[in-house]
Amino acid sequence: MSASPQQRKYKLTDQVDFLIVGCGASGSVLARELSRNGFSVVALEQGPWLDRKQFTHDEYRVQAQNLLTNNPQKQPTTFRKTPNDTAKKRQAVVYGRIVGGGTVHFTANYWRFHEIDFIEASKKGTIAGTGFADWPITYSDLEPYYTKAEWELGVSGQAGVSPFDPPRSKPYPLPPMPVKSSGVLFEQAARKLGYHPFPAPVAVISQAYQGRLPCAHCGFCQGFGCEMGAKSSPLPTMVPQAVATGRCEIRPHSYVRKIELNSSGRAIGAVYFDEHGKENLQHAKAVIVSSNGSETPRLLLLSKSNRFPDGLANSSGLVGKYLMFNTDALAQGTFEHPLNEYKSIEVTRIVQDFYEIDAKLGFYGGGGLGARFLWNPISFAFGGVPPTVPQWGSEYKKYLAKNFNYTMMIMGHGTSLPVADNSISLDDTVKDAWGLPAMRVTYKDHPDDLKTSNFLNQKSLEILATAGAQNPWSFPIEEQNLGYHLLGTCRMGTDPKSSVINADHRTHDVPNLFLCDGSSMVTGGRGQPTCTIQALAFRAADRITSLAKTGRI
Amino acid sequence: MTTRRTFLSQAAASLSVLYMTGITPDLLSQAHEHAKAAPLNLDGQPFRFFTPQQAADYEAFAVQIFPTDDTPGAKEANVVRFVDFALSEIEPHNKEDFAKALHALNDQAKKANPQAASFAALAPAKQTEVMKSMEKSDDFGILRAYTLVGFFCDPADGGNKDKVGWKLIGFKDDFYYAPPFGYYDEQLMNEQKEKA
Repeated sequence: MSASPQQRKYKLTDQVDFLIVGCGASGSVLARELSRNGFSVVALEQGPWLDRKQFTHDEYRVQAQNLLTNNPQKQPTTFRKTPNDTAKKRQAVVYGRIVGGGTVHFTANYWRFHEIDFIEASKKGTIAGTGFADWPITYSDLEPYYTKAEWELGVSGQAGVSPFDPPRSKPYPLPPMPVKSSGVLFEQAARKLGYHPFPAPVAVISQAYQGRLPCAHCGFCQGFGCEMGAKSSPLPTMVPQAVATGRCEIRPHSYVRKIELNSSGRAIGAVYFDEHGKENLQHAKAVIVSSNGSETPRLLLLSKSNRFPDGLANSSGLVGKYLMFNTDALAQGTFEHPLNEYKSIEVTRIVQDFYEIDAKLGFYGGGGLGARFLWNPISFAFGGVPPTVPQWGSEYKKYLAKNFNYTMMIMGHGTSLPVADNSISLDDTVKDAWGLPAMRVTYKDHPDDLKTSNFLNQKSLEILATAGAQNPWSFPIEEQNLGYHLLGTCRMGTDPKSSVINADHRTHDVPNLFLCDGSSMVTGGRGQPTCTIQALAFRAADRITSLAKTGRI
Repeated sequence: MTTRRTFLSQAAASLSVLYMTGITPDLLSQAHEHAKAAPLNLDGQPFRFFTPQQAADYEAFAVQIFPTDDTPGAKEANVVRFVDFALSEIEPHNKEDFAKALHALNDQAKKANPQAASFAALAPAKQTEVMKSMEKSDDFGILRAYTLVGFFCDPADGGNKDKVGWKLIGFKDDFYYAPPFGYYDEQLMNEQKEKA
């Protein structure tokens, strides 16, 4: 099941300019930019390369067969709360395992980080028990690349209506998506409360754009691939554009197990299993790992050698550390008239009034709220019914019948502080289907993260009540054991002792090895990382191009 | 099942909207070709996972989750057929846990009613009691989960027959819509029109 477009093919022995490991949110941006800049590129992707016409709305099968995501049968993970606990087998991360990566199935929220996200530590001071730090780059360094990401990929939104919006050099390329009933109720209530709601920026095209069809409002963004190609993932954008240069080969079903070094400590390529389980070594002049914030550190740890006994590029000891999931808070209520939230994109209105929560409340954090319907028919049956209602039998059935189209949800997305114990490491005993040590996830939310999440939840309930919801209720705020946002595990910085990569995304330890994805982040923002991951990739492509063209790799 | 022809005639109804957004019915039907698959009908074929007794026990359980009242329930949705297909074809790795859970259900039925031959043989009120006594258990959880999925899944997976689950909650599978989507955005749209 792979799209097999005409594309340039390279031999394993060809020493391509760049080998990119992972063809998702960031890897495919790098592949497109570097191949356009004249370099030869091979991008290895462990998942398949699907055509948009292969996407389905089959809610059960997409999940049960992991059609778009990592497969817990083949790729088991183990989980523990702290390093003192014994890790047990359970699914602990979800990520895109497909050409296009997690952006194929993401909800398409596309928020820029704000200026504060890059300088929080110096503004707020250090926080005991955390690795809270400033980024080596600022918002203004990244601003041109946010703009580039929005225009190259196609983002719908309305600039200049939120007083909290960071400065921008250009408006959005496309007008906002039409407002849904949840957006109307959310906006009216939030205004009444003195907040500043505005149209959600989303990576979905509201009008035809660059030859792509606009959104048909099918309602299957979150968790599904877009059969219209209207979701602005790299699949209908970066990937074909990279291939069209004639210098880029995308190689699906390629599961990388090791970055190889030569005797002088430079990367020479990567060893991967192909679709038939055969091991290959693809040679390259430089390697970029863009495998997401869980698989990137795992690959470095798997690539240990005599020179790097604790894992490749891990002289700092920080590879895999400071994992951040972000937090989610879910509140919902029902209304008198139908909202039909199953139609169209999940989120049309948001507020960012709580981006920086008042420090006087005694904890550190911030976040955003979005009127966001989380459910499809099956998932609503599992999560849409309040705990006060029976969960089976005729009352349950009646509740579902009455409320599916009358329910509105607000989701809060909050900060996660970087805690060193929260990490990706290799499991001692469990192996994956290729015989490699399984990923072990250690995670316990910082107490401030839970307080932030709870704060956001209270705001959601307040907005629901003000909007006239009949019975607002929320899920309990609990410590997380499953991550969708995988951030911070190979952080960037200027000091090789306290970071893994520099501001050019080059590892401090290996001159021709670069890392660029959610792992590069120093702080985790407010729960919508994709826009920043892709802006970083556009910027990294410029930095790496400049280094390569001046003989500095 | 929506055929290509009926799909196009539905699309024709909102032609003007489609053209406004640059989507033609033909492009839309191409795009949705794979999003809408034909329903799977296994009626009359032998079970692959269940024994006939297990199928009867599980159907009795599923009917307690979604009873047939003034609207169709788990029986009409063909939940048992879905589970048989899902465990044989899609999730064979869950067979063991499911069989164990079904076993636990029967054990509990016999423990509470020593004369009972099986869970299915109990009177409905007794079945309810048995289920209540184990509703916090993982065994109950897995049995319930498969009923929920089988009731609301894509009919292509053998359950949700005739879309009875989707019809119950008001979910439509047109997969293309234009605003207004619901009551409150329609109200706003009308207010704005009046102002204009």
